[in-house]
Amino acid sequence: MSIEVLTLLFFGSLLLFVFLGLPLAFVLGGVSVVFLYFTWGFDSFYMVSSQIWSTMGSFTLVAIPLFVYMAMILERTGVARDLYRAMHLWFGGLRGGLAIGTLMICAIFAAMVGISGAAVVAMGTIALPAMLERGYDRSMCLGVINTGGGWGILIPPSIMMILYALISGVSVGKMFAAGILPGILLMVLTAIYILVRSSLQPHLAPAMPPEERGTLRDKLLALRSVALPIMIVFMVLGSIMGGITTPTEAAAMGVFGSLIAAAVYRKLDFALLKEASIRTFKLTGMIMWILFAAHAFSAAYQSMGAQALIEGFMAQIPGGPWGVIIAMMLITFLLGMVLDPVGIMLITLPVFLPIVESLGFDPIWFGILFVINMEIGYMTPPFGFNLFYLKGIVPPDITMKDIYKSVIPFVIVEIIGLVLLMIFPEIVTYLPDLFF
Amino acid sequence: MRAITAFMNGVTRLNKAIGVGVSFLVFAMFVFILLEVFLRYAFNSPTVWTNELTQLLFGVYAVLSGGYLMAYRGHVNVDLIYSMFGPRTQAAIDIFTSILFFIFTLALLYFGYDMATESVSSWETSYSAWNPPIWPVKVCLPVGAGLLLLQGVVKLLEDIAIACNLSYYKPEDHPEHDSKGEQL
Repeated sequence: MSIEVLTLLFFGSLLLFVFLGLPLAFVLGGVSVVFLYFTWGFDSFYMVSSQIWSTMGSFTLVAIPLFVYMAMILERTGVARDLYRAMHLWFGGLRGGLAIGTLMICAIFAAMVGISGAAVVAMGTIALPAMLERGYDRSMCLGVINTGGGWGILIPPSIMMILYALISGVSVGKMFAAGILPGILLMVLTAIYILVRSSLQPHLAPAMPPEERGTLRDKLLALRSVALPIMIVFMVLGSIMGGITTPTEAAAMGVFGSLIAAAVYRKLDFALLKEASIRTFKLTGMIMWILFAAHAFSAAYQSMGAQALIEGFMAQIPGGPWGVIIAMMLITFLLGMVLDPVGIMLITLPVFLPIVESLGFDPIWFGILFVINMEIGYMTPPFGFNLFYLKGIVPPDITMKDIYKSVIPFVIVEIIGLVLLMIFPEIVTYLPDLFF
Repeated sequence: MRAITAFMNGVTRLNKAIGVGVSFLVFAMFVFILLEVFLRYAFNSPTVWTNELTQLLFGVYAVLSGGYLMAYRGHVNVDLIYSMFGPRTQAAIDIFTSILFFIFTLALLYFGYDMATESVSSWETSYSAWNPPIWPVKVCLPVGAGLLLLQGVVKLLEDIAIACNLSYYKPEDHPEHDSKGEQL
């Protein structure tokens, strides 16, 4: 069989079984075993099982359950509620202020945890009703929570970045440092969008009446709520950037910080730990099994020798190296609409990374672009985790269609951010060069 | 028929019990790593065993999650098209696609078993400074694959029952199937 046909069959059967609803881990694993059998023979799977063994003992990957555990604990404390009260007092008087406050809380949350779900759930239950009550436009509120929630994987720490670092071989610390400025850039861009939109159309996001804005004393007292999150951010990011701990150790510090937060809010008990442990187990297990299967996938991909074919194909794309990067972004964007991010990552990166590096691009820079694309994938219909999370907690009169429509302007803002990072790669590379 | 029902419930219960137990390992990993950081900076005496022990625990934790997740339908899938079908069609599709599941888990079981028996035969250790035995963790690979495989057989039996309207399985026995797993 020619290599073209083989490659087509390989990716074709992957897609077929994915859309037939078989879990991604088993699609990747099963299809790959079949192809390995026909290329390198049955015994080549021995290599796969030894790779799985080395993944089981990866110290870097231990950071994943720890960061997830931390997020699950933090989600159940009152941190988000208190933060929202503070933002409410400080920004409520501004047109669009509550939306911007929500964005800032999402960013703070993203700097504490490495997943996107925690902020979406917290803000969807706290900020959404509060904004709707004060006459904020439905689309505006839903879009803000969707976009802000996604920053969990862009602003470090980030599970996605840990996985990216593992696959690409770059350092986790550098990836984390690289995500900071792009995260701030996206926050500023989104805030500008809200400010402009709400000054042009004040009815979308009215300012709070003066009697609700609180006194200066109230405002200062409310700032206390920021102390705990800042402490946690400092414990996690500070210890990585300062070179004090490895990312995995920093994750353990983060768990410690979130336990302190739970204790301060008098939520720390066995029930909380048990619930968080089980939820963490489910999420980590899901990621790890996709990862196990992905070893089989990359072995099968290499065994077919399809790399040269794909490289040749990529060379046909007009626009030279930049054309290739843009095509890759387009592919991940489209995949983001239908596949889950871990899967996209493990399917595309073994194919993309060698090309990216041979074209002379910085893998860290590419990783940040990739993560932002995944983040957009979280909120683009029909398949997006943030959309599902939000649907699960909003009042029943908000339909999936409302949620779908709400993300459009915010996706455009994120794409503008992505383009800016392509034009000015220094925004990504400045901090990693500074710290490491 | 009663034997089939008993088998299905037994496997599901086993996987759930193992899952709940193993899920607490995350707390142990947290404690060991924090202890290491604390000893290193407070007493300037890093240990040789905390990191390695954590890695071993993580291996057990990761590989034993497969069956538990399967029991809760926690392995992420794309139900874009799939969700448009009725339960019986879905069951029929699942019976068809399960072939890939079985190919993967059987291969994993076969080679995992190979690796584990080799390791056990020499009571393999890690040859690090601490040098702990690592064969128990290697044994977990075929065990984890086996638990996943068993739960997959349960799922297949369920699907056959649903697709053919057989009596040994009633979906209402397992209401938690509706609750999907956690997502990132």
